[in-house]
Amino acid sequence: MLIEARGVTMRFGGFTAVDAVDLDVAEGRITGLIGPNGAGKSTFFNCLAGDYRPSAGSIRFAGREIAGLTPESHARLGMARTYQVPHTFTDMSVGDNVMVGAFLRHRRTADARRAADAVLERTGLAGQARHRASSLGTAGRKRLEIARALATEPKVLLLDEALAGLTATEIQAAITLVRDIHRSGITIVIVEHIMEVILSLADRVTVFHHGRIISQGTPGEVTGDPKVVEAYLGRSLERQRQRAAEASG
Amino acid sequence: MARFVLAVAIAIALVFPLVFSGAFYERVAALTLLYAIAASAWNLIGGYAGQVSVGHVVFFGCGAYGAAVAYSEWGLPPIAGLPLGVGAAVLLAALVGVPTLRLSGHYFTMATVALAELIRILVGNVPVLGAAVGLMGPAVPRSVWDLSFTSSLPYYYLFLAVLAGLLLFTWWMERSRMGFYLRAIKGSERAARSLGIPVGRYKLYALMLSAGFTAVAGALYLVMVGFVDPDSGVGILLSVKMLIMAALGGAGTLFGPLIGALILVPLEEISNSLLGGQGSGVTFVVYGGIILLIAVFQPGGILAMVAGWWRKS
Amino acid sequence: MSPILLQVIVGGLLLGAVYALFSSGLTLIWGMMNVVNFAHGDFVMLAMYVAFWTWAIIGGGPLLFTPLAAFALAVLGVVVYFGVVKPVMGGPMLAQMLGTFGLALFLRYSAFWAFTANFRTLPEDMIPGSFVVGGVRFEAAKVVAGIVALLLTIGLHLLLTKTRLGSRMLAVSEDRQAAMLMGIRPDRMQAIAWALAAGATGVAGALIATFFYVSPTVGETLAVIAFVVVSLGGFGSVPGALVAGLLIGVIESLSAFWIGAVYKDVLVYALFLVVLWVRPQGLFGKL
Ligand SMILES: Nc1ncnc2c1ncn2[C@@H]1O[C@H](COP(=O)(O)OP(=O)(O)OP(=O)(O)O)[C@@H](O)[C@H]1O
Ligand SMILES: [Mg+2]
Repeated sequence: MLIEARGVTMRFGGFTAVDAVDLDVAEGRITGLIGPNGAGKSTFFNCLAGDYRPSAGSIRFAGREIAGLTPESHARLGMARTYQVPHTFTDMSVGDNVMVGAFLRHRRTADARRAADAVLERTGLAGQARHRASSLGTAGRKRLEIARALATEPKVLLLDEALAGLTATEIQAAITLVRDIHRSGITIVIVEHIMEVILSLADRVTVFHHGRIISQGTPGEVTGDPKVVEAYLGRSLERQRQRAAEASG
Repeated sequence: MARFVLAVAIAIALVFPLVFSGAFYERVAALTLLYAIAASAWNLIGGYAGQVSVGHVVFFGCGAYGAAVAYSEWGLPPIAGLPLGVGAAVLLAALVGVPTLRLSGHYFTMATVALAELIRILVGNVPVLGAAVGLMGPAVPRSVWDLSFTSSLPYYYLFLAVLAGLLLFTWWMERSRMGFYLRAIKGSERAARSLGIPVGRYKLYALMLSAGFTAVAGALYLVMVGFVDPDSGVGILLSVKMLIMAALGGAGTLFGPLIGALILVPLEEISNSLLGGQGSGVTFVVYGGIILLIAVFQPGGILAMVAGWWRKS
Repeated sequence: MSPILLQVIVGGLLLGAVYALFSSGLTLIWGMMNVVNFAHGDFVMLAMYVAFWTWAIIGGGPLLFTPLAAFALAVLGVVVYFGVVKPVMGGPMLAQMLGTFGLALFLRYSAFWAFTANFRTLPEDMIPGSFVVGGVRFEAAKVVAGIVALLLTIGLHLLLTKTRLGSRMLAVSEDRQAAMLMGIRPDRMQAIAWALAAGATGVAGALIATFFYVSPTVGETLAVIAFVVVSLGGFGSVPGALVAGLLIGVIESLSAFWIGAVYKDVLVYALFLVVLWVRPQGLFGKL
């Protein structure tokens, strides 16, 4: 296993956002995390990526204990991430954003530039390389975050809702990109709300609810699990009712 | 185009004091360059890394007092105190930087405020540093190494050379890994860390470099003016000037601080010579107003504004 | 303990209560919207001038000028929020700092220009008299200032933690979006926070003016003290500011007593730098 999380727990004050989660991520696979809003997916991601130090539990990455290491050492070890709310460097150009990632493995500017150009090409951002990052829309920013993360030449890429807020065509393009990255040998962990995306991309799916894992398996197994249907459908039915109420009221 | 502008600017800088000769012009021109050096040094940490220091005068003071002490204590030419001043500045920078740069930017800014106050009180009470009276450089030059000239012209060219060196260094840094890292840190520390940047360490490097270059400006100040006291060496006004020049021209750009200095120094010198130097209260009101307006309407400074027009037309 | 030492300590505690009050305003704004008001000391200075001029022009005493200063500063706080803070809040950090820092210079030197650099003082007998308890002598002005400040600081804390208004303000500071969904108007809450913070500062300034000189630059020193108090107490924590304020007050009086008035601030600033090294989150704060 590339990542082995055991009993990972994250508490904020008295509130437990992630509660004793065990999760294995197999090398070379796409692992999906789903769950309703506030289930603790992003918090768990932040523990994996070193943004948070878990209150308890252990996380092994390629056999090495990484819980409590800084985010920068996570990056150096080969773990890259994107954010649910993009954190692009808005004052810099798109190309320079990617350069920042490329400098992790290439000290010299010319080498980093070459590596960054290759990533820009691959992610379809080469045309906008000289534009300021702030000129990009949501889809562009999310793509840029992926490109920047990719430029650090990671073993595993953690994507937190990289497709949320995108239009249908943009989603298709993003799915193609994720598949392409995966084919190049990078393990992927992806959080996603849109069921169809997870079902078409992931090899294995883990379902979070109230900070715990309630189901795990292939996409087919998980969608058939009554607990998931309850957690999810309950929500979506509720949402539909709300929408209906809003429409009529 | 950009190259052409740069070539013209360099040509003007080289011949300016020869065309506009006269003690007043030469002095103002030399001072402009001196402040441009200090503001460009501030720019390394405040502009590129986005960590606002309002206590940079402390580092300037290290340079000025280092040079003064080299003469008053050991009878050396003032410029021989440069290493002492730079060393002290870098040491102080580490002292405030190590604990605060790990934290959010506000801590750093407040620590620089406290450091500046602390040093100002101390300097005013330490006899070796001349206490409240201050220290003098050599009254008459004993050798060329005292760098004591009656005309401002030699200072002008000396400062021009130092500024050119600093800008060249900055230009190189902008294009190196460090430059990218500093701008990334300014953009988002969290994202910077996730890309493997040791954020605290890079901020500290930037601060130490910035402090060292600011101390150089301080030593040059003493060499030219030949006198330093707590007000001129470690007074708050100077911190404000460095910050406002960089912000007005464009913080985090290569030429921003120089442009700020080109506008503000002549303005102040001319208004002082017209109003008889009594306007310092008003000067601050105007400075405060300018900073406020920049912050609210044009955080990028003049260069960003010009770049905006450029893109539109 | 000798009576003189006791007197020094009690004096420090009373002064510390005033420090706590004007630092509460700073900590409230910082905690709520992650903005440091570098003009905070100048707010105190303006309040002191309100007190002085109220007395000088119409002869009003503390019962008039204290509420007046609170009101004037609260209005100023709201104006500053909408005019300076709100426009720069979403922007880069540099703009945020320049905003309030520019404001500080502007206020300080406008006062310099308008009121000159002269030190001004309210008459000694503004709050007259002094009394002796157990061999320790108290000046009434400082006792009144200390007690009022203490009560107001506690009141501010209760307002923030125990009332509906307080919990709405907290909601905005934790999650603006969510608060909006709950029907809270963030702008209004933040403007109220500025009014409260500046108003508290106004009271503190008026109280200080009863026993301390007024000058345009008096805020400079006071601001650094407020920074020290806030960082020692932990950013955003009013109880922290209270404890830290009392502590700083005592340290100041003791060091003025033992090593001389010139160095009393040196000790405070040095303490600040030491705190940053060993416990940057302060006594009560979290990072
Ligand atoms: N820094 C924090 N402090 C306190 N509570 C937090 C913090 N971060 C998250 N939480 C809480 O933890 C819970 C899980 O949040 P998280 O963001 O991990 O959910 P999520 O599964 O990513 O949801 P979404 O689908 O909305 O992104 C939520 O109830 C949230 O309010
Ligand atoms: Mg999330």
